[in-house]
Amino acid sequence: MNVSEIIIEAHGLKRYYRRGSETVKAVNGVDLSIRTGEIVSILGPSGSGKTTLINLLSCLDAPTEGTLTVAGKSVAGLSEDELVEVRRGILGFVFQQFSLLPTLTVTENVELPLMFLGRRTNPQRTAEVLKTIGLSDRASHLPRELSGGQMQRVAIARALIVDPKILVADEPTGNLDKATGESIIALFKRLAAEKGLAILITTHNTVFGYETDRAITLEDGRILKQEDLRRGTSSSGLAAAEQKEV
Amino acid sequence: MDKDIRNDPFVLRRYVVLASKNLRRRPGRTALTVAGVALAVGVAVSLGGFMLGYRGAMEKSINMLGFQIMIMAKGCPYEAATMMLKGGTGLLYLPADTYDKVKSDTDIESITPIFVGVAEKQGSSIRDEESASNFVIINGIDAPSYQVMKPWLAFKKGPGYAGGRWFSPEDKDEVVIGFEAAEYEQRKVGDTFYASITPKGKPDPVMHQFKVVGVLERTGTQDDGTVFMPLNVARDYFNRPNQLTILGIKLKEFSSAKMGDFENRWLALPEVQVVGLQQVKSTLLNLVATAQTMIAAVTVIAVIVALLGVINTILMSVYERTAEIGIMKALGARRSGIFELIWLETLVMCLGGALIGSVLAVVSARLVEKAIKSLADLGVQGSIVQITPALIGYAVLGAVVLGFFGGLYPAWRASSMRPVDAISRGV
Repeated sequence: MNVSEIIIEAHGLKRYYRRGSETVKAVNGVDLSIRTGEIVSILGPSGSGKTTLINLLSCLDAPTEGTLTVAGKSVAGLSEDELVEVRRGILGFVFQQFSLLPTLTVTENVELPLMFLGRRTNPQRTAEVLKTIGLSDRASHLPRELSGGQMQRVAIARALIVDPKILVADEPTGNLDKATGESIIALFKRLAAEKGLAILITTHNTVFGYETDRAITLEDGRILKQEDLRRGTSSSGLAAAEQKEV
Repeated sequence: MDKDIRNDPFVLRRYVVLASKNLRRRPGRTALTVAGVALAVGVAVSLGGFMLGYRGAMEKSINMLGFQIMIMAKGCPYEAATMMLKGGTGLLYLPADTYDKVKSDTDIESITPIFVGVAEKQGSSIRDEESASNFVIINGIDAPSYQVMKPWLAFKKGPGYAGGRWFSPEDKDEVVIGFEAAEYEQRKVGDTFYASITPKGKPDPVMHQFKVVGVLERTGTQDDGTVFMPLNVARDYFNRPNQLTILGIKLKEFSSAKMGDFENRWLALPEVQVVGLQQVKSTLLNLVATAQTMIAAVTVIAVIVALLGVINTILMSVYERTAEIGIMKALGARRSGIFELIWLETLVMCLGGALIGSVLAVVSARLVEKAIKSLADLGVQGSIVQITPALIGYAVLGAVVLGFFGGLYPAWRASSMRPVDAISRGV
């Protein structure tokens, strides 16, 4: 598996909001790159800018400033409609609330993104994805018949069905117990290793965060530190950003 | 239309299935909304059927009077026409010599004199029923010319009705009975029919006994409820020798010009009016149209209320699913895809309601007809609610068009959401 290909690259990424007369600097100058086959966790307390950063990196939101390249496409300055076109087929999403459609079966939920992409379903492919996440025996179940961990696995299968290059998971273990959370992280690791997926995870849980290849800690919209957990090295992003501003 | 949906019917089918399943998430709310649409469409179809049916029945009743022109004593012509259609009292009579004068007109193809009187029924087996009328309309007619005017009149056949025939002009004790009158009185050919007639100038009625010599087939007109006897016999019994109620006339050439000429010639007679049935028909239909316009307005309001219900339901559903819509966008749904999904939900609801409403209208058509007839005497025979496939087609199409426009705003709201805002707001 080629792990050296950079799939996301951001320079001087900023996202500011207006809240009344105040400007909120949710992300305030972030530089980072993410490679295929790499699992990166974004850590930090509430309000540190984790979700805003992941929204930018996954093309759900557009940056106020800075450059961002996703799968070779420059996305800074793109409109909402243009961002959709970038997301389609490249990015898969997993959310804390699972967000499965309650009236659809597991299979139908998993196949939902294909409908939005205008692709036909392929029962073999769906079965293969369900097998990957260990839910082959739940294919015709409704979400209410599943446990939290199973629902999160279905959400992962839904993300995988389009063969994405990047999997974005916002607090994927937030609603799960420790053992189930660990199994989800283990699944992510397997997917990254087997499929070469770049996986971006935001989490409050530092234990899960440090199970990944790289942990990026945010504070006030800036990178406080980046830790390469495979090599055991660390760098202070905040210090670098402050130096840049000076 | 989203290009993915446009390019592949399979994808469109999946959108329709998803829209239908989304509606099932709140079955109670969806059912109530669909019921509202169904009710509105059902009312619209029923009233539309009534408009069609009543107009048709009215036209048929007037056309089946058989003549194009009536000459009658001066008075309200529409009252007279209505009386001819549904019967009535307060009759006026033409001067004795009118028939002789008019029949020589060279523009006339055929003419038939009619004497109308009202008698009290006697000996009816069910006349004591509260709702039953004890009166019957007697038409004294000249059978040969009456048949020329109404060639469709035929005698009922079968056991008990065999040998039906018209009476001869001087038969004092023979009558022919219309279909419904015979059914109601349970009379067959050869039975006896009793009627009490009060002669003009006499205080007390005189009871007469008649032999039924023929029972007519159903015509769907007032003839069905009428008892016929020879013209002179009827006039004798009512003590109105030489008097007539109506002269029914068919012209050789029926045009506005000929009608105008004919009218001008005979309006000169004192105490006489000439009424064209075309004119009566259009006036009565105009009166009906006025009432129907009001009914249509009520229907439109019902439909608008139902549509507002649909919009409200879909908007609530959109608000409830804000996060879900954001997630669909994250999963790759374009703005157009979300728009069409929500729009389809509106259309599915309207289409479902329209189909259920149409079925209800068809199933309850006879009930509606019975209810309308029990509320008002409409003066026409036969079916007055006529639900046609075209009417149902228009109603369903109308509901879909309304859904098409009604779904625009909720669909626009949903599709305009930014995924980031939708996800964060909905969580």
